[in-house]
Amino acid sequence: MPHQYVKRALTAALTVAALAGGCRGREGDRAPGATMAPQGPWFSDAPPQSGLDFMHFNGMSGEFYYPELMAPGVALFDYDNDGDLDVFVVQGRMLGSKPIDAALFPPRDPSALRGRLFRNDLHVTADGSRVLHFTDVTEESGIDARGYGMGVAAGDFNNDGCVDLYVTNLGSNQLFRNNCDGTFTDVTKASGTESPGWSVSAAFVDFDRDGWLDLFVGHYVNYSVDRNIRCFGLAGGPDYCPPHVYAAQPSKLYHNNHDGTFTDVTARAGLAAQFGPALGVSTADFDGDGWIDLYVANDGQPNQLWINQRNGTFKNTALVAGAALGAEGEAKSSMGVDAGDFDNDGDEDLIVTELVGQGIDLYVNDGPAVFEERSARAGLRQATLPYTGFGAAWFDFDNDGRLDLLIVNGAVTQNADASARRDPFPLRQRKLLLRNDGGGRFEEVTDRAGPVFALAEVGRGAAFGDIDNDGDTDVIVGNASGPLRLLLNNVGQRRHWIGLRLVGHDAPRDMIGARVAIVKADGSTLWRRARSDGSYASASDPRVLVGLGDSSQPPAVRVMWPDGRTETWTGVPVDRYTTLTQGSGQ
Amino acid sequence: MFVAAASMAGAGCRSTPSPPDRTALRPVALPDLTHAAEPVRRQVRDRYASLTETTSNPNATSPDLANAFGEMAKLFMAAEYREQAEACLVNAETLAPGEFKWPFYLAHLYKARGEAAKSAAAFERALRLRPDDPATLIWLGDAQLNQGRPEAAQALFERASSQQPQSLAALFGLGRAALARSDYAQAVRWLEQALTVAPREAAIHYPLAMAYRGLGQTAKADAQMRLRGPGDIRPQDPLMTELDTILESPVAYEVRGAKALDDRDWKAAAAAFRRGIELAPQEPSLHHKLGTALFLDGDAGGAAEQFTEALRLSPTFAKAHYSLGILLAANGRTAQGAAHLAEAVRDDPTYVEARIRLADILRHSGRPAESLAHYDQAAALDPRAVDAPLGRAMALVDLHRYRDARDRLVEDVKQYPEQPLFVHALVRLLAAAPDAAVRDGRAALALMRDLLARDPRSVDVDEMMAMTQAELGQYGEAVTWQREALSAAQRLARPDLVRRLADTLAAYERRQPCRRPWFEDFGR
Repeated sequence: MPHQYVKRALTAALTVAALAGGCRGREGDRAPGATMAPQGPWFSDAPPQSGLDFMHFNGMSGEFYYPELMAPGVALFDYDNDGDLDVFVVQGRMLGSKPIDAALFPPRDPSALRGRLFRNDLHVTADGSRVLHFTDVTEESGIDARGYGMGVAAGDFNNDGCVDLYVTNLGSNQLFRNNCDGTFTDVTKASGTESPGWSVSAAFVDFDRDGWLDLFVGHYVNYSVDRNIRCFGLAGGPDYCPPHVYAAQPSKLYHNNHDGTFTDVTARAGLAAQFGPALGVSTADFDGDGWIDLYVANDGQPNQLWINQRNGTFKNTALVAGAALGAEGEAKSSMGVDAGDFDNDGDEDLIVTELVGQGIDLYVNDGPAVFEERSARAGLRQATLPYTGFGAAWFDFDNDGRLDLLIVNGAVTQNADASARRDPFPLRQRKLLLRNDGGGRFEEVTDRAGPVFALAEVGRGAAFGDIDNDGDTDVIVGNASGPLRLLLNNVGQRRHWIGLRLVGHDAPRDMIGARVAIVKADGSTLWRRARSDGSYASASDPRVLVGLGDSSQPPAVRVMWPDGRTETWTGVPVDRYTTLTQGSGQ
Repeated sequence: MFVAAASMAGAGCRSTPSPPDRTALRPVALPDLTHAAEPVRRQVRDRYASLTETTSNPNATSPDLANAFGEMAKLFMAAEYREQAEACLVNAETLAPGEFKWPFYLAHLYKARGEAAKSAAAFERALRLRPDDPATLIWLGDAQLNQGRPEAAQALFERASSQQPQSLAALFGLGRAALARSDYAQAVRWLEQALTVAPREAAIHYPLAMAYRGLGQTAKADAQMRLRGPGDIRPQDPLMTELDTILESPVAYEVRGAKALDDRDWKAAAAAFRRGIELAPQEPSLHHKLGTALFLDGDAGGAAEQFTEALRLSPTFAKAHYSLGILLAANGRTAQGAAHLAEAVRDDPTYVEARIRLADILRHSGRPAESLAHYDQAAALDPRAVDAPLGRAMALVDLHRYRDARDRLVEDVKQYPEQPLFVHALVRLLAAAPDAAVRDGRAALALMRDLLARDPRSVDVDEMMAMTQAELGQYGEAVTWQREALSAAQRLARPDLVRRLADTLAAYERRQPCRRPWFEDFGR
């Protein structure tokens, strides 16, 4: 069993020490941002009694089927609108014709192999301490995701104020509409979003500014278990194949028809004639024109930067923009991706995670949508060379106002050493935490992050969000053939922060794609955006959590809504979450 | 496991070298070879036996031991047993600290693992032993670039370049270092120089494009970007090249053969695949690859034999069916070729290239209706494969479905704005379709005007303009354009084309329009 190799870390108590005024993170509630946080590891793991009990089953049976490597994605989203983040994770199934008890790591309960929904029962006690507990509500939710799950996207596609889920699979995908009563309905067929094939990452995005979330689905390669190709290492031992042995599958863009249905507009939008084996997807306004663009990370082929032409079409400018390839013009493996303004110059920069020996890409946006690859200069390349990165994101783990990086890693090929040790799934690697020094460079601080970072697992999806609503960003990691891993942030709350939920006026949902300028008292501006996509096959908290460092002065907040309108709020409270509704600002 | 501590007999008047200190050496165990191919198992065991024999010999000198560990390490490295290789190389370096190759190999091992700092340190040790070794200078320069130290990298590349002024790797490194420093002018200088040394090296063009972009010279940047291609510019590295030849495994030979194919060395590729077949005669992919190499080397008969053997070993091997199908069709055995292509598609319904080629054969064999489904499916599977929609349009014309062909081409022109052939096909249809309801000379002329503004003149363009003018009743103009096309075809020494153009010219001179949008050579 793979988890016997996982060294259980010393876990900190889930109950965070008493902090003044701590409550749930709803509007008006204040969570502590002062300096009374306990010392201890920067991140803690969640012990079994948290209820987040999930083991991914990848169906491996010694046949080296390609999909075994690639899942699972995870989602952090508030499905029941109670103000805290719930968790959804996809599940695998047996691959090939062997019976399930022939699996190398048989599941505990084969009948329960489906994507799981965990409701967050966060409880804040009178003294402000937080008790985190999750309940598996899959059965009552009606989410019946029994395909070979790859990833998940979250977004309110029907503008009813309840977040829906799109699950990508090897096979046909599934769209689950949230019924706003704790249950979901599978509306895949009616919606026209089956998108059969092999999809990994997907993103809800309002690309035409009509107020409704459209859907981009990244497809990977043409693959079927029946036609699995056998690959071998140089010494002759069996191994997983590289992606180029299979042909890429075209990705899809679906336009929301506002009536529960979608139309495939891939060709009409100009996306059909260029595609690669898509793994990571990030949507952001890269050229600063107010329209959301798409960035697609392709495995072993040039990445794509689809710049929105504002007429329903896109143009791929990745090559000339300097964001398609590595620094020397090589097409790299490109799994996870995220956009964020790490250098606080007002535009979205990109990171793309890569294979061992390749090093992460850092595409610095020199505006508008012209990039330069600077991973070596930033100290990122050397730090990431020994690893194969998957889920990753820009996030300010210590709330100093600078976007840091967390990368979850896990190899994709056997090596002869591991085979010689008779390790059946020898792909485990540890995570990486890289702190932004504010001068264009990053420092690897993994060794200080806590024992949970020392765990070597086969990291794949990673979703980022404030799970315990204490004002810092936590992370949930999906491990291939491994446990769900919660990285609970214990340090961000030591500094001041501001939390924003950006909600539409006509559509009472999170306005994914909205850009936010936080103008601090000292006049400096931090740029963030509401997003749930990025990373790898995962969906993150769309709330905007911004670290203010030592500044306790309420900042001004300027929001550029996806429809192009801009509003400003002044004196937004610090160290709490505030909902900003479109139309209520200046 | 070797046993440490040999003692040397003392006494005697001659001075004898002190025995090697074995206590500091790392243990080296034989790894579990269960999953290795049998030839590799034999190789490793034999070499390990040799190592054990040496280490068991109390009289073995340091150089003897170092060599034994080193040779073991090389085999371990080639077979990717990196942990064992590391132990051997560390031992070899400990025993023979003055020997350049041990830290050099160790540096490469760490590089393969992504351990950049250790790799750089090992390359530095190697460089101290051989300060002017070009390969080491360049690899260490690469390591410095990875660590974000372009100035240090530049110094190393400069030293390498002074040793070998024509070294592509050194010039390329200088260019990359300049780019990393944002010294775009220098980057252009070095990369342009690299291009003069290796004008066909496609990998130079991307960084050169970035350098021109940095200088604001977007036209040059675009031009370079269009020329970019894959490649791996490495220094000449005899030690690592030797490593690539050590391993006796079918996969290793397959990799060597594939590399030779990339280098367009068909004979070397064939030799490598043959050797792989000797080790694994039942491996169909090796036979298929050997067939490919033979075909490229002009031995169609030999190629057919190998493809056939691949299919005998694996009857549902789609790629082998495809290759044999193409070969047979090219030799005029169209029906048999089509049968193999059909089999390829049955074995792998997502095999786009096989579908398109099958559709082409069906269309050229007078079976356009059957070809349509294949073109449609290929286009759906891979919208990048422009041959599919183009072939579909031609099949529709063959079926006299001119309106459908026009409508499809109108969509194709929008979907593939970078592909001029769709515009060409649409112009031809609008100018020369037998169906008057489809013909539209004015629309054809508008398209031609855009084309002429964008594209250089060619036989094809001139012919299309002639067709358009004829459709508009402007036969004088049509004759002029057709004569231009004919002259160009004569300069190209294309007698078949000349004949056809001359026939059409005669028709224009008789004031008769063209009613055939294209001929067999269109799109090829």
